[in-house]
Amino acid sequence: MMESLAVSLVNAVPALSGVPLWTMTLLVMVVVAAVVLTFALLYAGLATYVERKVAGDIQARIGPNRVGPLGLLQFLADGIKLLLKEDIIPAKADRFLFALAPYLVFIGSFAAFVVVPFGVGLIASDLNIGVYYVMAISSLVVVGVMLAGWSSNNKWALLGGMRAAAQIVSYEVPVGMALLPAVLIAGSLSLQDIVRSQGGLLGIFGWNLFHNPFTFVSFFLYYTAALAETNRTPFDIPEAESELVSGYHVEYSGIRFAFFFLAEYGDMFVVSALATACFLGGWHVPFLDAEALPVAWGNLFSLGVFLAKALGLVLLMMWIRWTLPRLRVDQLMRMSWKYLVPITFFNLLGVSLWLLVFHGKGIPRMIASLFG
Amino acid sequence: MKARAEALPTQEMLINMGPQHPSTHGVLRVILRTDGEVVVNARPDVGYLHRALEKIGERVTYAQFMPFTDRLDYLASMNCNAAWAWTVEKLAGIEVPERAEYIRVIVCELNRISSHLIAFGSFTADMGAFTPFLYAIRERERINDLFEDICGNRLTYNYVRIGGVSADLPDRFLEKTKEFLDYFEPKIPEYNKLISYNKIFVHRLANVAAISGGEAVAYGLTGPNLRGSGVSFDLRRSEPYSVYPKLDFDVCVGTGERGTVGDCFDRYMVRINEMRESVKILRQAIAQIPGGPVMAKVPRAFKPPVGEVYFRAENPRGETGIYLISDGTVNPYRLKLRAPSFVTMNIFEKVTKGLMIADIVAVIGSFDIILPEIDR
Amino acid sequence: MGLKGYLHDIWEAVATTAKGMRITARYGVDPRETITLQYPEERWEPSERFRGFLHNDIKRCTSCTMCVKVCPVDCISLESVRGADKKLVLASYDINIGRCMYCGLCVEVCPPKSLTHTSGYEKATVTRGELILHFVPEDAEEIKARVAKQVAEAAAKAEAEKSAKAEAPPMGWPAPVFAAGNPGAGADAEKKPAQEPKGEPANREEPPKEGGEKAE
Repeated sequence: MMESLAVSLVNAVPALSGVPLWTMTLLVMVVVAAVVLTFALLYAGLATYVERKVAGDIQARIGPNRVGPLGLLQFLADGIKLLLKEDIIPAKADRFLFALAPYLVFIGSFAAFVVVPFGVGLIASDLNIGVYYVMAISSLVVVGVMLAGWSSNNKWALLGGMRAAAQIVSYEVPVGMALLPAVLIAGSLSLQDIVRSQGGLLGIFGWNLFHNPFTFVSFFLYYTAALAETNRTPFDIPEAESELVSGYHVEYSGIRFAFFFLAEYGDMFVVSALATACFLGGWHVPFLDAEALPVAWGNLFSLGVFLAKALGLVLLMMWIRWTLPRLRVDQLMRMSWKYLVPITFFNLLGVSLWLLVFHGKGIPRMIASLFG
Repeated sequence: MKARAEALPTQEMLINMGPQHPSTHGVLRVILRTDGEVVVNARPDVGYLHRALEKIGERVTYAQFMPFTDRLDYLASMNCNAAWAWTVEKLAGIEVPERAEYIRVIVCELNRISSHLIAFGSFTADMGAFTPFLYAIRERERINDLFEDICGNRLTYNYVRIGGVSADLPDRFLEKTKEFLDYFEPKIPEYNKLISYNKIFVHRLANVAAISGGEAVAYGLTGPNLRGSGVSFDLRRSEPYSVYPKLDFDVCVGTGERGTVGDCFDRYMVRINEMRESVKILRQAIAQIPGGPVMAKVPRAFKPPVGEVYFRAENPRGETGIYLISDGTVNPYRLKLRAPSFVTMNIFEKVTKGLMIADIVAVIGSFDIILPEIDR
Repeated sequence: MGLKGYLHDIWEAVATTAKGMRITARYGVDPRETITLQYPEERWEPSERFRGFLHNDIKRCTSCTMCVKVCPVDCISLESVRGADKKLVLASYDINIGRCMYCGLCVEVCPPKSLTHTSGYEKATVTRGELILHFVPEDAEEIKARVAKQVAEAAAKAEAEKSAKAEAPPMGWPAPVFAAGNPGAGADAEKKPAQEPKGEPANREEPPKEGGEKAE
C-alpha cells in the first residue's frame, strides 16, 4: 500500500521521478507514521482534558478552566510540567528495566493505531491480520506494566504489576472471543474488510451490532472486557489508587509517568476504535455510501464519522469511570472466567450456528429481503 | 500441582500501609503481613497524631478546653463540644436553659449528618467511586454554611459553652435549616440508587469482616459499628440525656440486608439510615424549640466542686466518654477521654485475618475511624 | 447458584450500573448543578459572626490581659506600662495568627470589646514572622529602650528632688514608673514594679524583629 502511494506520488509530481522508489516508499512511511503519532498524542492530550472536564461536570464541579479558552490548553501545560519534572529513579530499582517499562507500554498502546481504519482509504497499514495484530501488540502493554511493577522495587508497585498481569491475561480471552463474531461475518481478519462488510442498508442496519442477537450481546461483552484490558474503572485494580496508592507506576515521575498516562488514553482509543470497526460499522456514514463519493469527500466524511463513533465510546468509558466503584481482584477474576468467558464462547457458538443456518444473513437483511 | 507448589518456595510479604496512604483516613499505619493478596495479619499502629489532649486538659481551665474538644473529632466538633459541656455541667450541677439544650441537639444532629456524609463519601471514594464523595462534600458544605452563620467557623466550631451556648441562633437560622433538610432528604435515596445498591459496591462490602453482636459488645464497639452488628444500643435512647427523651426517632440497626449481620455493608447502611433519623430529629427539634435565655449563670472563674464524673454521649462515631476528676481548682485534676475510634481499633486485627488487601480498605472505611480521636 | 441466579446476577449488575449512570449523567449535563465558586474572582459572603483574623482596636484596649489569660494556645502577647494616672498604657500587642486557632474565647471575654474578629482569612506569607500581627505601630524594642531611659531618668530625678511628684507625661508617653505586662504572670506582674523592663520580655514567641510587619 505504501508502495502504491509512493508510485502515485511520483506520478503526480514529475519532479520526483528521479528518486528511487524505495526512498519514496520510506519517505511516505515516515510521513504516515508521523501523522498517526501526532494524531495519537494530540488525541491523548485532549482526552485527558475531556476526562477531567467530564469528571468535573458529573461531580458538580467545573474542571480545568484556567489555561487557554475553557482550559483547553491545560494538557499542554501538564505536558510541559511533566517534561520539566525531575526524573526520579529509586536507588534500589532495576535501572534498565525501570527505564524500559514505560516505552514498552507506550509502544504497545500506540503501535495499535497503525491498523485503525480511520476512513475509506485512511489506514496506515491495512494488515490482513489486523485484529490479531492489535491483540498481539497490545499484549506488549502487560509486559511493560509487569516490568514497571517489578523493577520499581516497591511492594505496592509489585502488587499492581502482578494484578495487571493476571487481569490482562485473563481478559485477553473474552476480548478475543467477543471480537470473533465480527471476523466470522466478514470472513477476514483485516479491519478494513470487516468495516466494508457492514455497509449498505442505510448504513446503520448493516452494522454487526444489529446483525443478530448474539452479535448484539457480543458488542457489550467486548466493551466490558476491553474496559478491563485498558485498566479503567471499575476494573482499574492495577492502579487502585485507594488501595495500592497508584499501583505499578507509583515510583514513576516526570515524562516516564506521562508515557504510562498517554498509553492508557491510547489504549482507550484503540479498544473503542476496534469496537467501532467490528460492531458499529466503522467509518460507514449513515444514509450515505462513503466509498461512492469523491476520494477527498469520502475520506473526510468517513474520518469524521469514525472518530465520532470511537470518541463517543471513549466518552462512555469516562462516564462509567466516574460512576462506578472498583471491583476486588478476586471478583475481577471471577467475572472474567465465570461470566465473560463462558458467555463469549456461547455467543461465538451462537453466531457460528446463525451463519450456518441463515447462510450469513443478518436479521435486518432478512427483513429487507421480505420487503424486497 | 501440590508438589510443584512446594518446590516453589513463597514467603510472606511485610507491607507498610500508611501512615501516608490515601485510604487510611489520615495517619493510621497498618502493618500488613500478606501472602500475595491475602492478608495474614494486619496490625494497626496508632499514635502518629498524638497531641496529649488529656494532659492539655489538665493544664487549661474548663472553659479553655472547649476549643480542644473541637480537635478531638474534627468531623463532629459540635458533638464533642456538647459532650464536654454536659460532662462539666453534670459535675458542677449546672441547670442549662431549655432553649440552649434544644440548640445543642440541633447542632449535634446537623453535625451528625455532616459527619456521616463524610463517612459515606470517603468510604465510597475508598471503594473507587469518587463521585459520591463530592456529592457528600457538596451537602456538607451547606451544613458548614449553617454553622458559619451560627458560630463563625466552618470546622472547629467551639460553639457550645459550659452552661449553654455562646450565642443565640442567628436570624432565619431555623428556616435555613429547614430549607437544608428539604433539600437534603431526597438526596439520601439518590445516594442509595447511585452507589449503595450498586452491584459492585454491594459485592465489595457484603459478608466482609462480619462482626457478631456478642463480639461487638465484647470488644467495646459503640455507635454505628455496634448497631451495624444488630445490637440496638443508642445512648440517646438507652441512657437519654439533654432533650432526647422528648424526641422521637428510631435506632437503626444492621439487618444483614445483603449478607451477614454485622458486615461492612450493614455498618455502612446504618450510617445512611441514621442520616434520615437525624433529619427526623431535627424537624421535631425545630418545631419544639422554646424561647428564653441560652446561657446559665456560670461564674467566669469557674471552679466546680471536688468530685469525679463520667459522662458519655452518642457521637457520630460512637460513645464518647469523658471521665473527669475535679480537685476544686480551675483546672481538672484528671481528664480521660474515651474515644470510640480508638476502641474500635481493638477488633481490627481480629476481623481482618484472611481478607484481601482491598478489603482492609473497606474495613477501615466501614469503621469510619478518625485519627485525631484514635491518638488524641 | 443455578442458571436463574446466574442470569439475575448479570441483570442486577447491568441494572444498578445503569441507574447510577443515569444519576451521574443528569449531574453531568445539567449546568445548574455546578456549585463551584471561582475563588479569586468570586467570593462567598462571610457571615456576620465569621471568625477571621483578630483585630484589636488599641484606642479602646485597656490592657486588662483578659484575652491573654483566656487564650488556650498563648498566641496573644501584651506589654503594658503604667502611666502617671495609674492607667495601663499599651506598649505592644501582638497576635501570632499562625498559632491562633480562631476559637473566639478572647473576643468573648474582652470587657471593652476592643478585640474583634475581622472577616479576613487570606494571609499567605513567606516567613513565619509575618504571621505575627503587631497592633502597636511603634517598635517594641524602641519603646523598651525609651522606657528604660525614662525610668532611669525618673529614678535619678526622684532621688535628686524627693519632693517632686510625677511630671506631666511628654508627648503622650506617660513617664513610666514601671513597665508591666506579662502574658503568663498576668495581674501579679502588673502589681509588682518591674525594675528592668528589658529583662522581662513579655513576648514569649519572640517575634523575629526584622520580619515584623505592621498590621493594618
